[in-house]
Amino acid sequence: MLEVRNLVFAYPDQESPWNFDFTVEPGQCIAVHGASGSGKSTLMNLLAGFLEPQSGDILWQDKSLRHHAPWQRPMTSVFQEHNLFEHLSVDANIGLGIHPGLKLTPRNQQAIDEGLQSVGLDGFGKRLPGDLSGGQRQRVALLRAILRQQPVLLLDEPLTGLDSDARDLLRQLLLDQKARGTLIVLASHDDEDRRILADNIYKL
Amino acid sequence: MNNLAKRQQHSLRSHLTPGRPAPFSRPGWQLWPGFAIAGALVLLSLAGLGALVWEASLPDISQLWQSRYLRTVVSFTIWQAFLSVLLSLLVAIPIARILARQPAFSGRAFLLRLMELSLVLPSIVAVSGLVSVYGRQGWFTGFASDWFGASWNLYGINGIVLAHVFFNAPLAARILLQAIEGAPPSQLRVAAQLGLGRWWYWRAVEWPAIKPVLPGVAALVFTLCFTSFAIVMTLGGGPAATTIEVAIYQSLRFEFDSGQAALLAMVQLIICGFLWWLAARRGLTASLLPDRRVASHRTKAGSSLRARFADGTILGLFVLFLVMPLLAILIRGLPGMGSAFFPLGSFAVNPALLDATMRSLAIALPAGLMSVCAALLILACGTTSKRPAITRLTDVAAYLPLMIPPLVLGTGLFLLFRPSLGSSNEGLVLVTLINAMMALPFVLQMLKGPLGSLDSASRQQADQLGILGWYRWRWLHWPRMRKPLALAMAYGTGLSLGDFGVIALFGTPGQPTLPVLLYQQLGSYRMDAAAATGLWLVLLLLVLFSVFNRLGSPLHKTGLATKSPRSVPEPEHA
Repeated sequence: MLEVRNLVFAYPDQESPWNFDFTVEPGQCIAVHGASGSGKSTLMNLLAGFLEPQSGDILWQDKSLRHHAPWQRPMTSVFQEHNLFEHLSVDANIGLGIHPGLKLTPRNQQAIDEGLQSVGLDGFGKRLPGDLSGGQRQRVALLRAILRQQPVLLLDEPLTGLDSDARDLLRQLLLDQKARGTLIVLASHDDEDRRILADNIYKL
Repeated sequence: MNNLAKRQQHSLRSHLTPGRPAPFSRPGWQLWPGFAIAGALVLLSLAGLGALVWEASLPDISQLWQSRYLRTVVSFTIWQAFLSVLLSLLVAIPIARILARQPAFSGRAFLLRLMELSLVLPSIVAVSGLVSVYGRQGWFTGFASDWFGASWNLYGINGIVLAHVFFNAPLAARILLQAIEGAPPSQLRVAAQLGLGRWWYWRAVEWPAIKPVLPGVAALVFTLCFTSFAIVMTLGGGPAATTIEVAIYQSLRFEFDSGQAALLAMVQLIICGFLWWLAARRGLTASLLPDRRVASHRTKAGSSLRARFADGTILGLFVLFLVMPLLAILIRGLPGMGSAFFPLGSFAVNPALLDATMRSLAIALPAGLMSVCAALLILACGTTSKRPAITRLTDVAAYLPLMIPPLVLGTGLFLLFRPSLGSSNEGLVLVTLINAMMALPFVLQMLKGPLGSLDSASRQQADQLGILGWYRWRWLHWPRMRKPLALAMAYGTGLSLGDFGVIALFGTPGQPTLPVLLYQQLGSYRMDAAAATGLWLVLLLLVLFSVFNRLGSPLHKTGLATKSPRSVPEPEHA
């Protein structure tokens, strides 16, 4: 279970700080909903460990993550864009999620190939992110997150700006992950995303 | 417990208890080696200066204003540096503006490379080219005398300032061009839409772009001219045109007056230090070397035919100014190349030239490598550290070699290590070390931009995926750094290859490097041999640059990474 307990954060020039407090069970998706500037992305960055809260705590299965570095947290983030290393091939981008030094076993490589096939990107492994469309890039980012096998997915507007086919495919991937027990925290403006994916709404 | 729960347990365990960390991933690896090198550089510099002062006991400081000689030396040094800065900027600003206005003409890339060459072209070689063009018997002097009846003496302040402009105007123009090209595209679009005339384009776009870097460029050019040695040695022409750096050399080499050398060194340190302190305090040193990663905005070309003709004429004159001395080196050196390599028709290679070449490379290659390694570690330390004191130390270490005369540093260190320094080979080690230090500020500037080019999104990704330490270097930095590193290595090695400062003091006449051999040949009026040696030195530099260029380009794909000419903005090569 992921517990966010009175997590307080404010930027230096911010008058009233944000206070986040919610709980999510494995296999569930919580949709974080709010207007622009309401703190959705900040919450995602706090959970991922990219920002340091002023007070409060994040617990995963009753253990505090507060002082864990991003790479020590059981989470993978997918943002609206800039999820891939532009100078590395699709294979390498995914492979770095499996081993940070890209020391891959044949089984890892096989998993990457099968994963690419399952998201409709068979044969795209040697391409660079710049050669892909927005939807294809998001599929690669999501595939990396899935193959990284972390129990929590942090999704910050991952489907925004994509065409309907790409959205449908990614939604299906996320539903599959939920069914496998992955906990999802989703920040999205889109009502449809929330309706299809979310079990609970956390309003900011 | 079902499989899913097991998988989650496993994931949690593997992430909450650290697994095998990436090699060199502890923050200390990025911090302490650079800190140690920066500290050692500052300590070595202070120790060198201190040893000289200790050995000699400083003469009365009042000598500075009582001794006519010292007064003349200091005031001449400031005056020639001031004139050189003024003229260099007067040439550089229009050239930068024209190059920004004319982003696409054939030969532009060649001209830009030519302008960058000035940083590494050995002064003593360039001087021989300048003498061929502007000397008593020079092409230009002959032309000016025949057509305009003008007479002109290259030796003295004329020659010194001319040579300084030859070296520094292209460098300044390259940096200013980069600043203009870095102007916000929105501003350029608005200016183009409004059809601003040249004066208003200057007011609205160009001046705001170059204003922030101009004081830093002026400080850089002033320091380079203030501490210039080889040019003043060869073109000075007498005691009336002696700079501090040359006076230090004379004090150490001929008068054995290390006290006076130390006093002069401190005057130089105070003046240059104050200048750089002013520049650094106002954040003016951010981008003082050409960064080829900055894309050229395609701004409007010169609007009318007349304007384009004027631009072309000015650029043509500038190209002539740069190319003529190089052409002279080529034309004068080419006929002597055969006899320089194979004297008296023998088939055996001239051992003097061969030895000098090997000696130069034996000093320059390690010096280049040392400067690149030190620069990388210092930069890593500066960016990793959150303590202002450490960041300041790395800044000081980066600019200190520009201020302390290499001769003083070398002499001080020589005195300090004298008990253990015996053979001439150990002197050469000292020369290598000091050359590496002298190249450091330039190498550091070259690597600073590319090393900091990893955007925040990539850094966050890397943090989350655990791509740390060696892995981060290998997969994220190396693809961006490969070419800049090769270029920095080429510049570091090239600067050392052309050194005629430290080696003049520590080298033994019987074991010259190429610049020393060239100086000896000039001194004994063996002009053909000198021209051939000069040309050989330039050719060696070109070979060096193309070899490093080749090393900086990937030969084949490695692992899963593929080369990406489009997505990673990597610099082109000289």
